[in-house]
This record gives sequence, structure tokens and C-alpha cells, in this order.
Amino acid sequence: MSDAPKLVVTVDRSRCIGSGLCARTAPADLALAPDGRATPTRPATEGFAELTEAAEMCPVEAITVRDAATGKLIAPAW
Amino acid sequence: MTTDATTDAPGSPGAQPLVPLHCLPRAEAGPPRLAVLPTGTPVWVLTRHADVRQALAHPDLGRAPLYAPDAPPITLTPNILDDPSSILNSDGPEHQAIRRTVQRAFTPRAIERWRPWVDGVVRELVGELVGSGSPAEVVGALTMPLPVRVISRLMELEGLDTERLGRWSDHALSTTAYSAEEIGAAIREFGEFGQQLVQERRKNPGEDLVSSLVQAADQTGGMTEAQITSLTIGLVIAGHETTMTSFGNALVYLLDPERTDRPGRPEHPDRAGAWRRIGADPAAAAAATEQILRTVPLGDRTTAPGSLRRATADLEIGGVTIPAGAVVAADAVAANADPEVYPPGPLDLFAPLGTPSLTFGAGPHHCLGAWLARMELELGLHHLARALPGLHLATPVDRIEWRTGLVTRSPLRLEVAW
Repeated sequence: MSDAPKLVVTVDRSRCIGSGLCARTAPADLALAPDGRATPTRPATEGFAELTEAAEMCPVEAITVRDAATGKLIAPAW
Repeated sequence: MTTDATTDAPGSPGAQPLVPLHCLPRAEAGPPRLAVLPTGTPVWVLTRHADVRQALAHPDLGRAPLYAPDAPPITLTPNILDDPSSILNSDGPEHQAIRRTVQRAFTPRAIERWRPWVDGVVRELVGELVGSGSPAEVVGALTMPLPVRVISRLMELEGLDTERLGRWSDHALSTTAYSAEEIGAAIREFGEFGQQLVQERRKNPGEDLVSSLVQAADQTGGMTEAQITSLTIGLVIAGHETTMTSFGNALVYLLDPERTDRPGRPEHPDRAGAWRRIGADPAAAAAATEQILRTVPLGDRTTAPGSLRRATADLEIGGVTIPAGAVVAADAVAANADPEVYPPGPLDLFAPLGTPSLTFGAGPHHCLGAWLARMELELGLHHLARALPGLHLATPVDRIEWRTGLVTRSPLRLEVAW
């Protein structure tokens, strides 16, 4: 998937309640930090399906996934 | 809901009036301390905001180990919250598999889509209450029917016998109100209702929450039928019981004429002005809802000083080593008043929270219905205060009849006048 857009994941750590749903859904891109809050594991990524699901499953909508080039919001979007 | 639960009889010989929930003494936030559950089991009680939050999100503190064969006793009379099939008592990937089947329906945006409809239900109930004339009884007219109608709509339970639901719910959440046999029989009956519902929606799926959870569970596989049923009836109970309790207790707090005279309690200097502001400004109602959720507990917590977890490994919290196998109680009520996080002193009902409160928990078991509960409470308070800006309690606070012997405590009836 070389032509897949590069994605940037951000976590609003003040909203995050540490459910861990994201870290289990997209383990390559999101992890729980020692303080129990989610944190992105790398600056940019291509894990589209997992990340979209992680952002849409987050109980407090603390996760945002954007296109790295355009800044367009990818998820949560529905 | 109608209830057979034991009620306190105010005025009967020797009866001490129960204090309203907002006046309950709460533990002071401090280092972890060792206490004992009513069963005699030692428990580490966490009271600081950071410690409670850390414990609830900690991978080595689980719910399932509380019910393992080697677990010490944690309850004198088990109720539905002790069901090992429940989403509440599963951890890790198994818990995630259950939660995924319903999580999408409860995200902030998914709940926000229901706002116009919930708003309409609130207006209708408030309109009927106003039309009935002063004085009126607000539990039967509003705080109970609102959440029942909302969850009935989401799960398409129209025609549900609310008296039967009330009986199941009271038994399912009983601490001392009923015997173990009575509780077990009611939960079995409730479970049969849930099982029939699951089978029916599997056969004839609709657009409702039960159909979508059954479809999701069947597609993914891995969930037992007991888990699917338990989740279904759990949603019915959680969907109305806690919101009803929270709404009723919020009204006691907001309309308590003595509120400013209770030293050391959350208070607002201008009761009548605060009520009018909740009615005049939806944003003020939303802010007040958050502050009320933070400061008014749901119950007396006679069975445990907080939300229980059990350590699966040695771990450190708040400077204390908790050994594997130990039981921990995360006291969100104390943590919600931690002066490190929330300014001590008189409560500013309309101040933004800053840090989210721990009322809905944290970590994997963070309340699924948090956004729905917030919305019902916010719209309920706003429309009631808008329609009746001069609303006040018609019964003194120390004469309120409470639903007791249950996990939660709320007014059985609440007479109001305007």
C-alpha cells in the first residue's frame, strides 16, 4: 500500500480516560503510557483500517486521525 | 419505578432520617490505606484522583480475578453486579470483545444524534408535570419515566412492563433489601426475559441496540450466550436505574433550601438563582450537570468503599506496593473532591471541570452510557427549571422517603411545588 496516505494520529490527553480500546485495536500505532493515557507510538503511519476503528471506538472521542499531507480529518468521521 | 425495597419510615420511633446524598461524609483524598470490607476481606482504599485513575486503567488490576476460585469473599449477598458473565466482570481481550459490540452506539457523536428526540421526551414529560398543577411528585412524573423511555426506545422495548422492570431492577441491585433467594429468582426471571429478547432479535433483527449487539456478537463470535444475555439485561438496568438515581438526587441537591447551611458541604450561595440560571441557559445546565455528577454520589456505598479490583501481579500505586491477589477499592467519590485537582471550598456550580471527574470511572470499564446519562440529566434539569423557575421542595429534606437497601439510593417520591 505504498500509495496509501500517510496518517497522523493525535490523542487529546486531557480527554483520554485510558480505556485501552485504541491500544488493542491499533497496537502498532497507539499504546497506553505509564500514566494510563493513550499515546501515539510513531509520528506518521499507514494503518488506515485499524486507526479509523480506534478513533471511532474511543469512548470519549479523544483520538483524531488526519491525512499527513493535507491535514484532512480522516476519523472520526461518521 | 414502583418498589418493594425497604423504605425508611421518617417519623417512626427511633428512625434516623437519612441525609441527602450530597451531605454524605466522604473520605479525604490521601495515601492508599488498608481497610476491611464487610466480609472481613482486607482492601486497599485509593482516594487520590491520580491513584484512582491509575488503578482503574491498570492492566494488572482486574475485575475477573475478584471472582476467581481463590478470591477472598467480597460480598455478603451477591447481586447482578457479581455475575461472572457480565461485561463488568471480564477483563482484557474478552472484555474488549463484549464492549465492541455496543461501543459505537455510545460514543459522544452517536449519543448526540439522539438529542432532538430526548429533548422532545423531556419537554413532553415536563409539560405533563406542569399541567398536573402544584404540588406534584417529580420521581413518578419525570426522573423515573425519562430514562425508562429513552432506553426503551434505544432497545425497542416499547410495551415493556415498567412495574416488572422496576422489580427486577430493585432485586438485581439489592444489597440488603432482599434475601439471596429472592434476588436469585428475580435475576433468573430477568435473564429469561433477556434471553427471549436476544433470540427474537436474532430471528427478526431491527434497527435497535439489541439487534445490533446480537449481530456484532454473532459475526465476531467468541461471546457466550450467557454473556450476550447478561449484556442485554445489563443495558436495560444501567440505562435507567443510575440516571433516575442521579436525576432524583440532583433535584434534592438543587432544591434543598438548607443547602447553604450545611457546613463543609458542596454548596452554592444562591439556590434560587442557580436554579433559574439552569433554566435560562442550556450551557449553564451542561456545566451544572458535570459539577453535580462530580459532587453528588449515587449511593451510600455500604458494601465497599469504592469500585473493586484485584491485583494479578505485585504493583505500586501512590507509593504503596499492592501485592498480587490483594483487593483494591478505587474511591471515586473521594477522588472527585481531591483538592489537588478541584478547588476546595464552596462549589461553583457553573465552573468548567477542567479535569474530567471519575464519576463514570476510567480505564476499560469507563461507563458505556456516560454521554447518554449526561444528556438526559442536562436536558431534564434545563427544561424543568425553564418551565418552573420557582420550583421548590414541598417536603423537608429530612422527611424524604428513600429507596434503601440497594446499591444506589434515591428519593422514592419527591414532592415539589411552584
